[in-house]
Amino acid sequence: MTGDIIVRARGITKRFGDFTAVDHVDVDVRRGEIFGFLGPNGAGKTTTIRMITTLTQPTEGTVEIDGRDITKDVSSPAKEDIGIIQQHISLDKDVSVLENIRYHAILHRIPRKEAEERIERLSRMMGLEPYMDRLVLNLSGGWKRRVAIVCAIIHEPRILFLDEPTAGLDTQSRHMLWDLIRGLNANGTTIFLTTHYMDEAEELCDRVAIIDHGHLVIQGTPEELCMGIGSWAVEYRDSDGVKQYRYFTDMEQSRAFQESLPLGSRVVSRNTNMEDVFLEVTGRDVVATEEVTFRI
Amino acid sequence: MILADSFRVAWIDLCFIRRNLSSVLITSLVGPLLYLVAFGYGLGKGMTVDGFDYMSFMIPGIIALTTLTACFSTTAVKVMVQRTYFQSFDELFLCSMNPAAIVLGKAYGGMVRSLISCAILYVVGLLITPDLRFTLSAVLMILLASLTYSLIGVVAGMLSNSHLTMNMITALIITPMTFLCGTLFSVDALPGFAQAILYALPLTHTTDCIRSAMLGTGFEWIGFAVTMVYFIGTFVICYYLMVKGKR
Ligand SMILES: Nc1ncnc2c1ncn2[C@@H]1O[C@H](COP(=O)(O)OP(=O)(O)OP(=O)(O)O)[C@@H](O)[C@H]1O
Ligand SMILES: [Mg+2]
Repeated sequence: MTGDIIVRARGITKRFGDFTAVDHVDVDVRRGEIFGFLGPNGAGKTTTIRMITTLTQPTEGTVEIDGRDITKDVSSPAKEDIGIIQQHISLDKDVSVLENIRYHAILHRIPRKEAEERIERLSRMMGLEPYMDRLVLNLSGGWKRRVAIVCAIIHEPRILFLDEPTAGLDTQSRHMLWDLIRGLNANGTTIFLTTHYMDEAEELCDRVAIIDHGHLVIQGTPEELCMGIGSWAVEYRDSDGVKQYRYFTDMEQSRAFQESLPLGSRVVSRNTNMEDVFLEVTGRDVVATEEVTFRI
Repeated sequence: MILADSFRVAWIDLCFIRRNLSSVLITSLVGPLLYLVAFGYGLGKGMTVDGFDYMSFMIPGIIALTTLTACFSTTAVKVMVQRTYFQSFDELFLCSMNPAAIVLGKAYGGMVRSLISCAILYVVGLLITPDLRFTLSAVLMILLASLTYSLIGVVAGMLSNSHLTMNMITALIITPMTFLCGTLFSVDALPGFAQAILYALPLTHTTDCIRSAMLGTGFEWIGFAVTMVYFIGTFVICYYLMVKGKR
């Protein structure tokens, strides 16, 4: 894992009319790492990923892939270095699985023999073989996603973007996808993924960034971020029975705090995790603008 | 290079047509064949227009009209659906394709449908009327017209985000053109101002050109040139939409 930057986004901003979906975000992804991009619904993750992959034109800002600005030139050869699995599966649903995969090989100008070899290898790996002649229309969501994955990696991109790749997948498929991501990464593919699952971020990511309301709020390794709010977490219920969280950098402080709580309070003491970081940084209310409190 | 890439872009649309060939052809042939029976044998029997019997006059018109309807609906609906429902249109911008290749490639699906339909209608025409001829200039014009109307479909597909908008465009622009642009009657019969409007539309010229070529009365260079201007114009618009459009 070298330290050089393969994706460099500077001040990327997207406005839809008066509404600013992404506001001057700087992202650096290092070559060979797995980079996690986290944020609540509507935070601007998809918009950011689409800007970096040129699918959406930024209102402001620049994106460089391996030192080449790809926002200027529609047919830039640098595009062959990226692959993306979109949140909304982007396949031609009225033709077969095989035709979709072949189409991607054709679009990327992979020689026929090479393409057929890759198709066979990847479809076997993803367990797609029995489905090759089915219309994409008739596949379940999880299987469609597998097809989308094969399509996105058929040209062996150096950077793979995945927008909520495991949303809606069963446990087996999730683990399969994690293994796949780790495998690709071990072979040198840089990974940029968004997710709502904090265990996934902790499990996979070398570094994460959190975006909220279009602003990048924090980035670093999961460990750094946990340490940032305090490595020791204490959960307890206040006098109204509402769950409260406190974080301490020091174990002694944490213990002292627990002892200060009224006798008989249900207290859990544990290590801080990404879920804590996420909730601390983006707020615990689901809709921050409305008065919503969840009583557990 | 761009030409080879354009076939790459078109590959999946051609897959779809191959899969659904019979329904694709039935839907584009039923209308024209009904006109043929209803107007040709029913209404126009014994009539002569511009010195030819009505059937010989009408068949080239029906072929011209087929280039418009078959091409437009195929490419317009395909592009709209791929953009807004399948979202597979994005994939074209994730490889290093030249926008010109994308524009051309998106037109081929409509062209294939139109060319097969026109070939069938041409053969039918040659079989049932003695006045019609098979000429290279007619083939050339059918090709150019198919390409142009496919590109007009691409523009419509890029600009509309739902079937509703698409139906509006069809109802307000395409359907009036199919009936008014001299396909089923001679435009010369209309008052001057109406002629002026109709001669601004490409289909009037396409019809003139295909008709004169099929009847062997010479090649309407003006018709060819005007269609060519429309082709270049829509190509430029498509190119712009691919580069700058809100995909
Ligand atoms: N084409 C558009 N026009 C107008 N607003 C848009 C458009 N696309 C996205 N937005 C808005 O931009 C904001 C960010 O959307 P985005 O899809 O990037 O969020 P996200 O972080 O991916 O959310 P999720 O976790 O739900 O996928 C949202 O408020 C959304 O409503
Ligand atoms: Mg999203």
